[in-house]
Amino acid sequence: MKLSRSVLSLAVATALGAGTAHAADLKIAIATAVTGPVAQYGDMQLAGARKAIEDINAKGGVNGMKLVGVEYDDGCEPKQSPTVANKVINDKIHFVIGHLCSGAFKPAAKIYDENDVLMITPASTADEMTAQGYKALFRTIGKDSQQGPAAGDYIAGKLKPKALAIIHDKQTYGQGVAEQVRKTVEAKGIKPVMFEGINKGDTDFSALITKLKQAGVDAVYYGGYHPELIVLLKQAKEQGLAAKWMGPEGVAVSDVKGEPAEGLLVTLPPDFSTDPANAKLVEEFKAKKQDPSGPFVLTSYAAVQVVADAVGATKSTDPLKVADYIHKNKFKTAIGEIGFTDTGDLASARFDIFEWHKDATKTLAK
Amino acid sequence: MSDFFPQFLQQVINGLSLGAIYALIAIGYTMVYGIIGMINFAHGEIYMIGAYVGLITLTAIGTAAGYPVWLMVSVAVVLAVLVTCAYGWTIERIAYRPLRGGPRLVPLISAIGMSIFLQNYVVIFQNSRDLPVPDLISGMLFTIDFPVFTVGMSNSRALILFVTVALMIALTLYIGRSRMGRACRACSQDMGMASLLGIDINKVIALTFVLGAALAAVGGVLIGLSIGKINPFIGFVVGVKAFTAAVLGGIGSIPGAMLGGALLGMTETFASAYLPTEYKDVVAFSLLVLILLFRPTGLLGRPDVEKV
Repeated sequence: MKLSRSVLSLAVATALGAGTAHAADLKIAIATAVTGPVAQYGDMQLAGARKAIEDINAKGGVNGMKLVGVEYDDGCEPKQSPTVANKVINDKIHFVIGHLCSGAFKPAAKIYDENDVLMITPASTADEMTAQGYKALFRTIGKDSQQGPAAGDYIAGKLKPKALAIIHDKQTYGQGVAEQVRKTVEAKGIKPVMFEGINKGDTDFSALITKLKQAGVDAVYYGGYHPELIVLLKQAKEQGLAAKWMGPEGVAVSDVKGEPAEGLLVTLPPDFSTDPANAKLVEEFKAKKQDPSGPFVLTSYAAVQVVADAVGATKSTDPLKVADYIHKNKFKTAIGEIGFTDTGDLASARFDIFEWHKDATKTLAK
Repeated sequence: MSDFFPQFLQQVINGLSLGAIYALIAIGYTMVYGIIGMINFAHGEIYMIGAYVGLITLTAIGTAAGYPVWLMVSVAVVLAVLVTCAYGWTIERIAYRPLRGGPRLVPLISAIGMSIFLQNYVVIFQNSRDLPVPDLISGMLFTIDFPVFTVGMSNSRALILFVTVALMIALTLYIGRSRMGRACRACSQDMGMASLLGIDINKVIALTFVLGAALAAVGGVLIGLSIGKINPFIGFVVGVKAFTAAVLGGIGSIPGAMLGGALLGMTETFASAYLPTEYKDVVAFSLLVLILLFRPTGLLGRPDVEKV
């Protein structure tokens, strides 16, 4: 009984909260994953977006409107994201910060596009997202065809492995970035000895590790997210596989820690939290006990800034007008001054190579 | 080719330790089926709850407090077993007992419902993200150095293999020799007759569920420690594989669960060792279909265990 009462009071509270949002508010949907195995990235996205909304409101909002963030959870599941998209449209929200995962974003983006909703994703890096010709899709992060080559160049130029293996999780994002890495290293004359997919959610990779060890692999690129990588690293360590591991920004979370994670290489957007221009912002994040150096915190902050600036400048909440303005202008954001290409990608995006440590901190790799 | 042998040996070890994981869970499926002829789909979820209780216990003790590892692991296993026994009993009481005697599909659906309920219940109270399990049982049991390759088996994997074999023997003895075991076998042959002869079948069936839950909890804690992370969905993934292992070995047969687990683990391991890793499930399940075509009751299953 207790449970049902608290659920009821929660429902009432939500209804009241919705009631106070009046016409002069600018509602922004934050579509992310707060459940599921990659929820840590969702936390980063939420932290960045919430802080940006708070800061913009503290300065008086946009054109007299207060920003209101409405949060949605797709669990990083392509099955759930269309439901989220339909909810956003039913809630009459025209601006979306999200989604988080490329796999989940893909089906949702189609629905947003059909309903003229403007989307800015701070995290989804799959190339195909901006290749569909959607009217109002942007991202404040680079794409896999920039991330893959950055990793590939580093492997070919610095690691110079005797035998390279590329493993991926057969998902839109993981396989996408893994194929980009393969293309880059092959162009530079390194032929990977292995290019294989694993099952998402599997917990035993010992057979694969033995195979890697047998092939004398001294460098492994893993395209995917951290849950599988943690297990791969642990089992590689157990079998004494002496190889350098490397992964995309999807493996960079604090759960990746301990002895096996030491020395892991990751490609990430530059760490904007070390930018002196963000010093004050970084302090404020830290005062809230949040870590601004997570890869999606400031990209998410910037995504909100772009929407707010564009709505402010066009004095319109028509998503297509706002999109048009975003295409044509430059924005001063927490990730520097940014502009967008015709497809909605960042005009210039960079990925840096970081080395991960056992306490889940990172340093720029040499 | 001189390094073929060490690699092969390592894959055998990999396959056996993976098989032990499947077998440990499969024993629970097979026991419940053997006695009441019903597949307890919530078994995977009990395993998952066991893993959570184990992790919560370890966190409460504090792994840095300096207690000996065997003591901490034992306490975690014992608590996990106690809690999941309560779950096993309650599930039987709520979801199966009222439906006993109904059409066979009804308890099956209620088992699936129970499984979904438990999964979501843990998602709500523990949220759905991966939780890291402290690396308590590290190190290798043994390593053999070959010129180009070192073969080894980790302590945590060895422990799972050992515990699985020990539990299988203990369970076989219990079912075969004890008074309660005899009652179990009587129920499995003819529940109506057993009850006429004065066997309390409610008690026997409740015991079956409690024992199954205890086995799953042991698996949850040990496998969690070996893999190093848990989330509310591990029960489903392992459950499907363990159920397959139980069917492969002959559902209802305890040594069959062990054999099925080992066979499935080996097949997956060798498929991923000598074929692209993508094919391992394809090969494993093709094998399952083949074996069931020729031996519909599984490798060690007796046709008379099958009930209508």
